[in-house]
Amino acid sequence: MRDALKQRSDFLANIRQFFSQRKVVEVCTPQLLGYPATDVYIDSIAMQVNQKIEPKTQYLHTSPELEMKKLLANGSGDIYQICQVFRDNEQGEHNFNEFTMLEYYRLGFDRYQLMDDMVKLLQCLGLCGSVHRLSYAQVFNEFANIDILNTNFDALKKIAKTHGLCTDFEWIEDLQILLFTHLIEPKLIDLSICFIYDYPNSQSALAKVEGQVAHRFELYLEGVEVANGYDELQYQADYRQVFANDIKKRHQLGKYSPKLDEGFLNALQNSLPPCAGVAIGIERLLSKVPKNALK
Amino acid sequence: MANYSTSQFKNGLKLILDGNPCSIISNEIRKPGKGQASNKVRLKDLITGKTLEKTFKSGESVEGADVMELDMQYLYNDGDTYNFMDPESFEQYAVDETGMDEAKGYLVEQDMCVVTLWNNNPISVTPPNHVMLEVVDTDPGLKGDTAGTGGKPATMNTGVVVQVPLFISIGEKVKVDTRTNEYAGRT
Repeated sequence: MRDALKQRSDFLANIRQFFSQRKVVEVCTPQLLGYPATDVYIDSIAMQVNQKIEPKTQYLHTSPELEMKKLLANGSGDIYQICQVFRDNEQGEHNFNEFTMLEYYRLGFDRYQLMDDMVKLLQCLGLCGSVHRLSYAQVFNEFANIDILNTNFDALKKIAKTHGLCTDFEWIEDLQILLFTHLIEPKLIDLSICFIYDYPNSQSALAKVEGQVAHRFELYLEGVEVANGYDELQYQADYRQVFANDIKKRHQLGKYSPKLDEGFLNALQNSLPPCAGVAIGIERLLSKVPKNALK
Repeated sequence: MANYSTSQFKNGLKLILDGNPCSIISNEIRKPGKGQASNKVRLKDLITGKTLEKTFKSGESVEGADVMELDMQYLYNDGDTYNFMDPESFEQYAVDETGMDEAKGYLVEQDMCVVTLWNNNPISVTPPNHVMLEVVDTDPGLKGDTAGTGGKPATMNTGVVVQVPLFISIGEKVKVDTRTNEYAGRT
């Protein structure tokens, strides 16, 4: 018991030391928000507060991303946060309604510099395995013989069918993700540290887009998805478009579909400085740290 | 028959897939950070006996299969069909050759078997784990070899061929493990 607690405590101390050495400042942003998450497949947990005064609905944050971006737009400089996040309707072996997230932003970095920085972070946590960097198109080509960036929705459905996979999807990104989960992820188990980068533009989320690809990456440790990072979108108009699109999709799926968070969009009037950011699942990362590796 | 949502999936649940009744062997849920959850399910096709793998998106519904497994007594074979009786209801069921598969090599009259019914029609038969069969043909026995070091093929009264110890001779009754088709003793 105490050994496990001590390991987690040392692990967090190493992370804080890593950022302290790089002059990245720890911040703490609100966890109780006025707006729920808009990601199509991430659901906020809603709660009623102030029942005896003036009842209203609040939402536990699913990630500190938007609150941290308000700070960045206000001139915070490099920041990180370690906090609990909460998600509704989570299921699966590695998914929980509450988990710990490390989120950090580096000004002037692009995704490649951020991946390099993360390798150093992993090393200081005792994860020293060989590092693989593979593009999304590359893994699909090598592991599944699929030209993922140039295969249309109907052709992908035919491929999915031959693999016994569901094909009843509204949008191409859902099928791309399903194919990734079932054809690619099992092949990543043998790779101790693997970055997948340049996602199809259909999966850009809040990353910058360039032609067919979004400047987004994920980190897989022995086949387990541990982190998700972007060259961050900078402009209010871009965020407005992504949110509106996601909300529309949520509505189509019969999920809650909130109004636009104008407060956040207003905070971005100054736009974000050029930066790259990443969210890391702390429990998943800790589970891959060798015992006694921490100083 | 009711439909089942992926959230109700569990081992042993019977579903209709591609027209055949199937039983769930395993159900693994995957939820990518930014994507939709999916269920990777392994199933046994109860007609062909084959194992299949299917992936559903979470929330999808699949038609359930009305499948029951009943203990029934094997009565007799009338040339075309194998006849069983439910000892509770005394109802008799006739199973044709296709549903019997390997089971027919282990059927002994009066033995209790598991008969799988789909929409009240028998689709497969599982014999007991051990049955007593009579040797009808084998090479002459070697007297004195009771250690059972070697082995020889022996044809049973049901037609199945089992590897038996050298000392076993024609007319003897032997115990056979129906899951492995192996000799399991004399009593």
